[in-house]
Amino acid sequence: MELKICHLYPDVLNLYGDGGNIRCLTQRLKWRGIGAEVTKIPIGSKESLKGFDLIFIGGGQDFEQEVLLEDLHRGRDKELVAAVQDGMTILAICGGYQMLGAYYETHDGKRCDFVGALDLYTVGAKTRMIGNYMYKVDEKLGGFTVVGFENHSGKTRLGPGVEPLGKVLAGFGNNGEDGMEGAHFQNVFGTYSHGPLLPKNPDFADLLIKTALERKYGRAELAPLDDTLERAAHDEMCRRLEKHP
Amino acid sequence: MSFRAFLAICLCRFLRGFSRLVHRGGTAMPGRWALKVCPDLLSVLARGVKTVAITGTNGKTTTARMIDQGFEDAGLSYFANRSGANLMSGITTEFVMNSTLFGKCKKEYAVIECDEAAAVGVFPQLMPELVVVTNLFRDQLDRYGEVTHTLENIRKALAGISQPIEVLLNADCSLTASLAEDTYHSYLFFGIDKGAVPSGKKSELSDASHCIRCKTEYEYDYITYGHLGGFRCPKCGYHRAEKPEYAVTDVTEQRPDGSTVVIGGVLMEPCVVDVNLPALYNVYNAVGAVAAMREMGIPDETAIAALGKFKCGFGRMEDFALGKGGAKVMLVKNPAGCNQVLDFLQNVKDRFVLVICLNDRAADGTDISWIWDADFEKLCELSGRLEKVIVSGDRAPDMAVRIKYAGVDPRFVETERDYEKLVSSLESEERPIYMIPTYTALLELREVLVKHCGGDEFWV
Repeated sequence: MELKICHLYPDVLNLYGDGGNIRCLTQRLKWRGIGAEVTKIPIGSKESLKGFDLIFIGGGQDFEQEVLLEDLHRGRDKELVAAVQDGMTILAICGGYQMLGAYYETHDGKRCDFVGALDLYTVGAKTRMIGNYMYKVDEKLGGFTVVGFENHSGKTRLGPGVEPLGKVLAGFGNNGEDGMEGAHFQNVFGTYSHGPLLPKNPDFADLLIKTALERKYGRAELAPLDDTLERAAHDEMCRRLEKHP
Repeated sequence: MSFRAFLAICLCRFLRGFSRLVHRGGTAMPGRWALKVCPDLLSVLARGVKTVAITGTNGKTTTARMIDQGFEDAGLSYFANRSGANLMSGITTEFVMNSTLFGKCKKEYAVIECDEAAAVGVFPQLMPELVVVTNLFRDQLDRYGEVTHTLENIRKALAGISQPIEVLLNADCSLTASLAEDTYHSYLFFGIDKGAVPSGKKSELSDASHCIRCKTEYEYDYITYGHLGGFRCPKCGYHRAEKPEYAVTDVTEQRPDGSTVVIGGVLMEPCVVDVNLPALYNVYNAVGAVAAMREMGIPDETAIAALGKFKCGFGRMEDFALGKGGAKVMLVKNPAGCNQVLDFLQNVKDRFVLVICLNDRAADGTDISWIWDADFEKLCELSGRLEKVIVSGDRAPDMAVRIKYAGVDPRFVETERDYEKLVSSLESEERPIYMIPTYTALLELREVLVKHCGGDEFWV
């Protein structure tokens, strides 16, 4: 067995520790004897997204946003819509998550059209939502708790076409108002938990691996791994956030 | 001087005296209260003082200590904020302690390192004669925001200095060098020339991959580390200064305890220089410091000798007599600095113990995601020289996970969060020890190290 993983726009969507997620996926596949091949698709690449099993999209700085949008609107956007419809497993974080939505509107009313693969949009606010946070993933997806770090000024609103990924237990989530975090549609998982989300949320990492393997091979049982260190890091942050939400 | 300023000075001195009575540093707190009484106190005190200010992401303290040594050896009347308190409050405290009660500074010169975000408030009051900008890297996103935001802050800080001054910029940092677009001040460059060191590979995680002017991807003639090197924009033509005023033309030797380099450039006859600290980032600090000392009128021989004898201490490659092989403490704050330390470890010949202390308090940055941008995978290239890794600090479990995913066998990873126990257990260690703490972890760890092995309090 093997998963072909695409790291989309690693040259501009790499804000803080995003590569940790790729590292986590490949190590967990390797430890189970499953092959992993990572392909980086930067700005300007003509390589097709077809043929991949899992796409990862990270978060970015405002500085490179124009460069990114130009590339996106040269056809990458339509390709992403098709990939989502086709059931591709996608993890999109922070800026990458917003990018899969319909548009982003700055707090002074300027609108940027995004990919439109997910029924959601984002509106910029003046204050940033920053800090460690925690959410509980929907029961259908496993009901596990995710800990992470969010740092965004955009407030994301979900349309009826997508489900929230989970409920906020501590922190802000999508917009700091409706108690929801992230989005889930087909096999797409969008979240504000930026940077190294997967290493200390092994349940989430394995959910992505399982989803991608099942799509490719019909069914997949994942051999258990020794996650003592991962769970220790996860549980300690849960305890901290329970004490000081 | 106003009565408010007088009151503020009295209060500041009283609070400082009280702090020392109760064995605290009192480096920033007294100034904070004084500024509440008299918000423009620094401008009153800094008037007439010839100040060199050092700012930028990495290397501020080391560069300041090098200049400090040169000033001392040149016999100048000066003071410096050596404790590392580099915000408005700490800088104000330092000026108060070097002034009379009536606000007259007792020294002719000052060497002041200044936080890159605080500079915008500090510089207009400090009115330095010379500013050194060391470099700009991504750092503590939760506190500073994007690196271009920090750059704009420094631009504003310089624009706030109401007399034309000299500014020394790192030529190899495309972000820093762009400050020279301004025409009010005079800008001079320092850097490392092509061919001085073998060119590094273009990093996949560049902090400045696209042109600051037109957003086209840079091309590079050579790279020293991170995004530093001979950058060139193929579209708008923005490029590294061809002939910096001060340049390292050759790095002749890099040793575990220092480097030998040749410093020359447009304004300087080539000189062989011994730098007292190892690693390439300290070569940048050295050429920046030499440039600053020369521009302040210090003779070449004195400036060069200073680089071979200065002591940085305080967690910058600081040595402690711990265990049989000694311990070296190397502060890390961001991926760029951490990668330089990991590169340095590649050159360690003996088997060693590595201690990593990761905190996530306000001064460290509350977001520890950056440990995944630092290349800890390099620990697996040490071919058996890594005896074990001990993780510590508030976020020790996260560090343990990082090390595991880097490919280090978890059996070689221990956790010890109590610094007292950690240092005691290392007293019988046979191997040399390398300790890499984040800022607030350094403060606590160092206190325990000083207690066990001797050394100065941080404010001395």
